[in-house]
Amino acid sequence: MSILAYNGGAMVAMKGENCVAIAADRRFGIQAQTVATNFEKVFEMGPHLFVGLPGLATDTQTVMEKLRFRKNLYELKENRRISPKVFAAMISNMLYEKRFGPFFVEPVVAGLAPDTFEPYICNMDLIGCLNEPSDFVVGGTASAQLYGMCESLWEPNLAPDDLFETISQALINAFDRDAISGWGATVYIVEKDKVTIRNLKTRMD
Amino acid sequence: MFNSTHSAPPPFWSNGPAPGAFYNFPGTVAPVTNPITHTQSPVTTSTSIVSITYDKGVLIAGDLLASYGSLARYKNCPRVIEINPNIIMGAGGDYADFQYVKSFIEQKIIDEDCLDDGLKMKPKSLYCWLTRIMYQRRSKLDPFWNNLVVGGIQDGVPFLGTVDKLGTAYTDKVICTGYGAHIALPVLRDALDKKPNLNLNEAKQLIKKCMEVLFYRDARSYPKYQLGMIDVDEGVKIEGPISVEENWNIAYMT
Amino acid sequence: MMQTGIRPYYPDYSTVPVERQINPYADNGGSVVAIAGKDFVVIGADTRLSSGFSIYTRNQNKLFPLSETTVLGCSGCWCDTLTLTRILKSRMQMYHQEHNKNMSTTAAAQMLSTMLYYKRFFPYYISNILVGLDNEGKGCVYSYDPVGHCEKATYRAGGSAGALLQPLLDNQIGQKNLQKPSQEDLTQEKALSTLKDVFISAAERDIYTGDSVLIKIITKDGTKEETFDLRRD
Repeated sequence: MSILAYNGGAMVAMKGENCVAIAADRRFGIQAQTVATNFEKVFEMGPHLFVGLPGLATDTQTVMEKLRFRKNLYELKENRRISPKVFAAMISNMLYEKRFGPFFVEPVVAGLAPDTFEPYICNMDLIGCLNEPSDFVVGGTASAQLYGMCESLWEPNLAPDDLFETISQALINAFDRDAISGWGATVYIVEKDKVTIRNLKTRMD
Repeated sequence: MFNSTHSAPPPFWSNGPAPGAFYNFPGTVAPVTNPITHTQSPVTTSTSIVSITYDKGVLIAGDLLASYGSLARYKNCPRVIEINPNIIMGAGGDYADFQYVKSFIEQKIIDEDCLDDGLKMKPKSLYCWLTRIMYQRRSKLDPFWNNLVVGGIQDGVPFLGTVDKLGTAYTDKVICTGYGAHIALPVLRDALDKKPNLNLNEAKQLIKKCMEVLFYRDARSYPKYQLGMIDVDEGVKIEGPISVEENWNIAYMT
Repeated sequence: MMQTGIRPYYPDYSTVPVERQINPYADNGGSVVAIAGKDFVVIGADTRLSSGFSIYTRNQNKLFPLSETTVLGCSGCWCDTLTLTRILKSRMQMYHQEHNKNMSTTAAAQMLSTMLYYKRFFPYYISNILVGLDNEGKGCVYSYDPVGHCEKATYRAGGSAGALLQPLLDNQIGQKNLQKPSQEDLTQEKALSTLKDVFISAAERDIYTGDSVLIKIITKDGTKEETFDLRRD
């Protein structure tokens, strides 16, 4: 089994009308054994910037710390907020530095640009190949299921409320068909002047 | 407990099976160093088959080369053949396997002729039968290493089908095997999308173009090919050897 | 003493280890989706037959009628599908001739399971979905793994895009994770439009699903057929 599927997890981010959403499950497991159901995979990197790191849990945390360090250094040096696009490029570069001994995470970035509040989402593979589509990105062990869900549920210009409903349904129904993700979910809706974080109750099997 | 120097009991009988075991037939036990080997890769091979149906029949083309790896070994190996007045067939892959398959197709034709019922085998029957032959051999993990293309006329309608070494079989209006599946097939599909009902002349021109392109791009190809034709009106014809019109002017960058 | 380099005299009884390496299976892709209702069942399969990055044909039927009220959808290894469906067809005919009646959907479902398990150690590599009307005229769906595990359901997605489509059906047909599930029975129109929607989604992300979908709608009045186009890239 792939190391990427050692701990399990599902991740999705979507664009909406002047907003973005990112959501992940809360399971931490070791192969089939569920160890914890309060594991965070999405991290706040700024007032409008979130990064999700599905994959090997130890690397999720290591990469998050390294990214926070690099982001802080950038913001100190530049004396301004990092934009999601630059942050994504930073992750991509950091991952490619370890091209032949990679971190086993497939990052997802979601945020609004600090100046224009333009929605931004992207994901990349474990060595930093960037993908910046205009609709949604998925990651983790339930990615096939998420593709199926998102491809039919997502539509352009969703308002924050509708985006929440869409991303929640997409995530929950997807990870219900994956044995190693689920056990609760967290959804972040990022708007210009508020970020809504909701913990979802889901089936716990 | 009873006897610490206990040893195995003497055998019940000599040269027989152990109690509770099966008798081993003589000659069935061979040294482990001598496994049965099967054809695990083709040896003398031929390349693509290109085929297309048109309004009144089917065309199948294949070049005359049989390669030994990268060596162009045999340069006159026909592999588009007439089976009977209803059917033509083309074959790619291992040439020896093709000759073997061909020999027992011919035997089957003879067997059916001997019935003297005036019936001739139809293309769908041969296609179906070949499907079973190929599947049976793959199930023994000793496949015939061929792609077979069957063309013919059944009830006045052109038929074109193919079987590969696993027994994977399908029918379509255009079928190409080997490199042809990558190079010729897109050309033929595009032509058929633009004009779904070709006449003989248009089909021939397309095949000619494909064999030309294949000759330039497929390193295991040869500029001489056969063109098998089966037509509602004209019956079976195997034309050839036809030469590809070569033009290497572009190659000289002077 | 036996000489080396000599084949066993009775090869069929030989216990000599044999080295083999060819792969008798191929993944020819394809997806099947089936949805059952109170008095109907719909089944759809895409018509693309492929291997790796090659499309063999854009027009391959993967739905096999077994009787008036039973249809089997197959995807996976196409040469195994051809073989299995041929044997099935003859078994259906034998049953008809022995019993002077058509085999029921439930019996066909059980027979398929047995036939798949019969090849437990050299399986047919097929994802099978069998649909039909049971003796009460109710729609039913049976899905199988390659070695004959059988499960009855009301809806199922299988094949190369099975993982993409099943959660969608859970949500749209099974009404999973909905705040207020609808109490009404599933209509034929809703089943059909959902089936088409999920295939459009699958064709977006699964390269082995596309070209077009062939749908069969089975009711007590017989079987209706329908096709619609998918993307061809």
